[in-house]
Amino acid sequence: MALLQIAEPGQSPLPHSVKRAVGIDLGTTNSLVATVRGGRAAALPDEGGEVMLPSVVNYSDPGQVLVGAAARELAPLHPADTLMSVKRFMGRGRDDAAEDVRRAHYELAGAEDGMISFQTQSGPVSPVQASADILRTLRERAEKTLDASVEGAVITVPAYFDEAQRQATKDAATLAGLPVLRLLNEPTAAAVAYGLDSAEEGVIAVFDLGGGTFDISILRLHRGVFEVLATGGDTALGGDDFDAALVSWILQKSGAGAPTASVARQLSALARSVKEQLSDTQSVTFELADILAGAPPLELNRTGFEELIQTLVKRTLLACRRCLRDAGLDATEIGNVVMVGGSTRVPLVREAVAELFGREPLLNIDPDQVVAIGAAQQADILVGNRAEGDLLLLDVIPLSLGLETMGGLVEKIVPRNTTIPVARAQEFTTYKDGQTALAVHVVQGERELVDDCRSLSRFELRGIPPMVAGAARIKVTFQVDADGLLNVSAVEETTGAQSSVTVKPSFGLAEDEIASMLQSSYSHASEDMLARKLAEQRLDAQQLLEGLDAALQADGQQLLNDDERASLAQQMDLVRQQLREEDVDALRVATESLGRASETFATRRMDRSIRQALAGVSLDELDEEDKE
Amino acid sequence: MWRELHRISTALPSPDMPYPDFSQTYFELFDLPQGFTVDSTVLGERYRQLQRELHPDRFAGGTAQEQRLAVQYSGLVNQAYNTLKQPLSRALYLLELAGLSAEDVAREQIDGGFLIEQMELREKLESLPGLVDRETVLEHLLTELAGDIKLHQGEFVVAYEAADLRAAASACVKMQYLGKLLVEAEQVESDLLEGH
Repeated sequence: MALLQIAEPGQSPLPHSVKRAVGIDLGTTNSLVATVRGGRAAALPDEGGEVMLPSVVNYSDPGQVLVGAAARELAPLHPADTLMSVKRFMGRGRDDAAEDVRRAHYELAGAEDGMISFQTQSGPVSPVQASADILRTLRERAEKTLDASVEGAVITVPAYFDEAQRQATKDAATLAGLPVLRLLNEPTAAAVAYGLDSAEEGVIAVFDLGGGTFDISILRLHRGVFEVLATGGDTALGGDDFDAALVSWILQKSGAGAPTASVARQLSALARSVKEQLSDTQSVTFELADILAGAPPLELNRTGFEELIQTLVKRTLLACRRCLRDAGLDATEIGNVVMVGGSTRVPLVREAVAELFGREPLLNIDPDQVVAIGAAQQADILVGNRAEGDLLLLDVIPLSLGLETMGGLVEKIVPRNTTIPVARAQEFTTYKDGQTALAVHVVQGERELVDDCRSLSRFELRGIPPMVAGAARIKVTFQVDADGLLNVSAVEETTGAQSSVTVKPSFGLAEDEIASMLQSSYSHASEDMLARKLAEQRLDAQQLLEGLDAALQADGQQLLNDDERASLAQQMDLVRQQLREEDVDALRVATESLGRASETFATRRMDRSIRQALAGVSLDELDEEDKE
Repeated sequence: MWRELHRISTALPSPDMPYPDFSQTYFELFDLPQGFTVDSTVLGERYRQLQRELHPDRFAGGTAQEQRLAVQYSGLVNQAYNTLKQPLSRALYLLELAGLSAEDVAREQIDGGFLIEQMELREKLESLPGLVDRETVLEHLLTELAGDIKLHQGEFVVAYEAADLRAAASACVKMQYLGKLLVEAEQVESDLLEGH
């Protein structure tokens, strides 16, 4: 047994206060929700016993949004109203995604800001809204199954998602009324599920090829700590592309011209079925006449299919090699390769991965469910249902973050594969005499030229006193939190002039936009909203009280004097009193006030933890500690 | 890119926030002897121990203030770890501790032979997209670059241990050159990956 639970006094979870947290795999093709019950994580089925929810949303009827299999059935009939694989469009701009839009046969709604939104019978729908509808369906499924409201969710994203794509995912969750505990990288989630299951130690590679995205991550597992060493991938490569290659082949063989949207949808469905059959059989013959009038049946064998997808599979291998290089490891140093995602069922993919790493990949956890299960396990920890010492994830940022400097060049501030959270500061100066403002342009990517990188945000630092060029000292600090979300601040050090942004990429939604969407959202009547607000505020208050109770029990005597303890107790009573009332605002005020009152205590506790951690414990002692 | 400040205390995001004594060197923080050769097992072990204490997830049920502090402290430990983990950043950090700033290092003269080699490697890289077997050639080039970087790491160790800081700095500059070329080679690889 490698994972020992070390609970601090007062921090052990109480049996009666189990909180409902879920893990959600928001996939390109299918989505799942999982939770931990009685110590075991499992995916939750719908009423028909189906665990997988097709990530398809239909907007044909303005009065009713259909999600899942029912929506997918409508795809051939209403191609423009039935949104599939919207994950491919999350956080992407119109220009950026033009090719994918054309291929998916969607109609784009007009928009000036470069943001994507699809024209449907129910009006324009953004990828964020469609994703929110999928998430809402999963939330309702979980609430029905658990007979309780969901207090928080860990939602998985491809490790290679950029800031805009992450922010869009978070926005979708907010819109669906799901408090996000953490955005977790999909391969890391898979590694958690696998690592907790096998209790294995050492270095593993997670090869995750889903419907629309590809990720490769290399992790070190060591006594419950999952340290991501490097990650890489491609957010626009997956099983969908295999299907598309097959559709092109069918069109070419049957001599058909450009298909209509409806025909294209039917051909995609056919291609998916042929692809799946070729994983088990050597050859497939299929009828086409129903879709393309007069077309003869076609036959495709596995070798023929493999030729079609060969270049796509090669792209995944190149990404694997680079990831190994980033991790500073040789393929032989990888202990095990875990396969995740439905597309790893394709035999060519398995063979290619086995050859690259020189070992047979592991398939013992259902590749469709493993990500959701790992996310549920992390959610269970983040909501406080487990002793916190037994599992820790140390993740990295997938793409470098930098600033535009003179000449349109990028100065990288945080290189890719840096472990998060992280703060990095760098000094810049003015380039003109008397310059009083500085434009800060934050970009993401590996290229040297700004134009080749993803633009995340722009802001201005004003109030720099006029000086000769090069005299001002402007410190720009990048802070990336544990969700991988970025905050940038700039300060002119001689005057203290400051400016900062939490990076909200141009393609995400503004805070007030989300609020107004929530307000107008069809499934949230105003009393619903109020009830939800009250519930959320109560949760905040309860969490604060529980946390403080535990902290006081552990360190109250040591770190606080009598007056301080009495004053805290008084503030806590005020919050408890408000918890019995129905007044959202009064509860918020009381909670915030208690939060401020407890800051000194929190700081002292942190200081002491750090002093203990820094006290130079020797490695032998660490080993002893872990064996206890 | 190495202009950031390397003592932990100077990199604190907010100077008015109370914080514990982070004035130790990164080596002291990780209980390691100061030098280029680092026992990666000890480094990793100590890193994980610190993160077990400080990571924001350990304070998931804590107050906002605890969360904020945890993000900062955990970030500082990550910065120290990342600096010591990578050979080039570790070498530059050693020079900085010895009183040689990044600017001093950048001013170091490089011998002509090395620069000519660099130009040749760069030409090889630029001619790559026209080649038939470019993936194999690229793979060779990447291996060659990695080997060259190792070579100069060796140079650094010899110079640093002989207290010849200028020669050590020169080895660092060469590593920087090669590192930059490696990034460009990866970019070419990435273009191949995307099918350009």
